Amino acid sequence: MAQNGRIRVAVDAMGGDYAPEEVVKGAVLAAEKGDMEIFLVGPINILEKELAKYKLINVSSIHIVEASEFIRENESPVDVIRRKPNCSVAVAARMIKSGEADALFSAGSSGAAAISAIQFMGMLDGVYRPAIVGSLGTFAPNTVMVDLGANVDCKPHQFLAFAIAGSVYAKKFLNITDPKIALLSTGSEESKGSEAVREAYSLLRNSGLNFIGNIEGGDILSGKANVIVCDGFVGNVLLKFYESIGGYAQIWTEQKLKRYPPLRGLVRLLFKGLFPATKISRGAEKNGGGILWGVDGVVKIAHGASRAPQIANAIESAKESVKAGVVESMKSELAKFNQGGKL
Amino acid sequence: MTVEEQVREIVARITRVDKSIITRQSTFKEIKADSLDVVQALVAVEETFGIEIPDEEAQKFQNFGDFVSYVENRVAQKEKV
Repeated sequence: MAQNGRIRVAVDAMGGDYAPEEVVKGAVLAAEKGDMEIFLVGPINILEKELAKYKLINVSSIHIVEASEFIRENESPVDVIRRKPNCSVAVAARMIKSGEADALFSAGSSGAAAISAIQFMGMLDGVYRPAIVGSLGTFAPNTVMVDLGANVDCKPHQFLAFAIAGSVYAKKFLNITDPKIALLSTGSEESKGSEAVREAYSLLRNSGLNFIGNIEGGDILSGKANVIVCDGFVGNVLLKFYESIGGYAQIWTEQKLKRYPPLRGLVRLLFKGLFPATKISRGAEKNGGGILWGVDGVVKIAHGASRAPQIANAIESAKESVKAGVVESMKSELAKFNQGGKL
Repeated sequence: MTVEEQVREIVARITRVDKSIITRQSTFKEIKADSLDVVQALVAVEETFGIEIPDEEAQKFQNFGDFVSYVENRVAQKEKV
């Protein structure tokens, strides 16, 4: 935290489909509230030009930090480490490590943000790779899924770290005292699922967490579990499928009611309200992205297509996550498992 | 500790596998190291021994033994200088 008590957020100003324009605009929107300090990280000449477009109310709330390089869309995220260690997201990550900032925000490559966090901020004890946790929102308000895409291939011990992250999320943001944790698999029996899932079952059963066993796809929205653990490949496919359901339901319903124009209008009106509500990303849109759990600091990532309002929300939410002490909660939860040698 | 033992410790720590399963014949795939693990291992080895491993050389490593041999050579060269 800055000496004036304000939370400091390092913003990867060059990350995102509409960077730097929308990122700078979003940062200005967030800075106008005046209760945090924002560090725009990127080439100074570009960022000064962008920032000059705005009449800043709180001039002291926004600063520019030089990073001469940035990761382009076609570049491998791993390049952050060896080829471009001074790219904007890496410089922003190092600011957290050095204590110059309290949180990092990026709408650029999630992989590059994750790798920067791993390499330059470090992982919490017992965690191998960061994970993305997300609430299922409308249909299952008391259920979160993890991982939603940060880890395509997972080792068994990662599922245990995912469960811990999901559990902290459920306690912190859903106010669930003892979250029920389930492993997503192809059957409820312990013998079902991939090799990694079967091994993870045994780790979770002996973890001391409130593990209720495997659940199948059909139970995801049932509310049986508060934390559903899966690898990032499955989680990301499910997330995007889930997000698409509302839109297709509207198209299907409208087609069915083609011959009844007044009803079609009514359906359109209903879906206008319902459609966003059927998206898992509803919360993400409102809060502007998700946290990378397991890294030693708050890292907020957002969709590459985010515009200024979502970016402002995400920066705001990064600040709130620092205030809520999510990293400290994760650390203390992990400590219990590390002491028992379970991670 | 020999160069090989140090490199093995680094690789085991990063990939989170038991170092006893890493032999000179082990491929990175066999020890379930992904591209990030490999890059992290390269960086950690470079920092530990104060050497540089160019990407073109790193791409030639077929197994852990190749990696170790390269590092051993570079360390020996460095000591000569």
